[in-house]
Amino acid sequence: MTAQSIPADQLLSAIRGAGVQDVVLVPDTHQRTVLDLLMDDDEIRTIHCSTEDEAVAVSAGLIIGGRRPMMQIQHAGLYASVNNLRGVALDGQFPIVLLIGLLGRDPELEPEEDGSSMVRLCRPLLETLDIPSHLLDGPDDLHHVAEAFDEAAERNGPVALLVGTTTS
Amino acid sequence: MTDNSEVQRMSLDAALDVLARRRKEQIVVGTMTANGAWRQKSPHDLNLACIGFMGGASTLGLGVALSQPDRDVWVIDGDGSLMMQLGSLGTIAGAAPSNFLHIVIHNGVYETSGSQPLPSQQQVDFARMAEGAGYAQTASFGDAEEFDSAIDELLAADGPTLIQLYTRPADRFYSARPTPPGTTPALARMWPPVAEALSND
Repeated sequence: MTAQSIPADQLLSAIRGAGVQDVVLVPDTHQRTVLDLLMDDDEIRTIHCSTEDEAVAVSAGLIIGGRRPMMQIQHAGLYASVNNLRGVALDGQFPIVLLIGLLGRDPELEPEEDGSSMVRLCRPLLETLDIPSHLLDGPDDLHHVAEAFDEAAERNGPVALLVGTTTS
Repeated sequence: MTDNSEVQRMSLDAALDVLARRRKEQIVVGTMTANGAWRQKSPHDLNLACIGFMGGASTLGLGVALSQPDRDVWVIDGDGSLMMQLGSLGTIAGAAPSNFLHIVIHNGVYETSGSQPLPSQQQVDFARMAEGAGYAQTASFGDAEEFDSAIDELLAADGPTLIQLYTRPADRFYSARPTPPGTTPALARMWPPVAEALSND
């Protein structure tokens, strides 16, 4: 099956529908149309971080203070954030939902068949970290967004959503 | 360029005493050597700790500060810790929480692993870095009395504020104990009561 581009307004609606109050981000080329909408949004606050490791800790701090954050990063940032995913999100048992863009993925292939190591190793890494993930391969998969927050709360830990192809 | 080699340094105890005397209902995130000492000096149900993710104290505190804008948040960071997440200075300055106080314990060494020198130990100046990043206020102290005289004015003004405290390294090192299987990690035990206290406020 070919992954379909998700329109930015539909992804934003799903994020809003999940009750997200803060998007903690390091910019992702793959999701730039969503970022454009988010930065103009009056209800959802964006918090810009220098590194994805920081974004994990900021998200945890927001949760302590009673907010409902979501992380938005690129796959390269997943690799950069591993220490805090382990030490903060997993050990601290924080229900953090991560929206991760699979920049450069061949939409005709499963991520694990991709030529790019950044795409190919993403789900195996999440599996190693015991972080459940769900692929958003088109608008029909957007139900995973709200469900990921329920899943994160139930397991007291992080859940990842992988944006399969560039948003439109 | 800053020269740290001849700078006056206070004891960690004296530095923390100045802060402990001002402790009320602030949320305090501690890390590394200073964390244990702080918890003894100022036991409180709003203490958090960065244990097991060195470098994360500043951004954990930032998240709390942004979620609780009416409550002051203090981060008691280490110099080696901050070096690991130096970009957090830009992240904090960009978010610009006025309720955020960033204390950096500058002893010039990785104290917990046996006091090996920090990279650029003799020159590194976190107050100047924070100023360059865009913190609202920065200051440095090597004398506890001088720090004690100046801190109230710094606390009264809007942050983010970074205070660099030159301290003498302690002559000790930390040896991690094995974690028994099934043990709940410290952070997972620590934050839910803080979250509950804040939600009841």
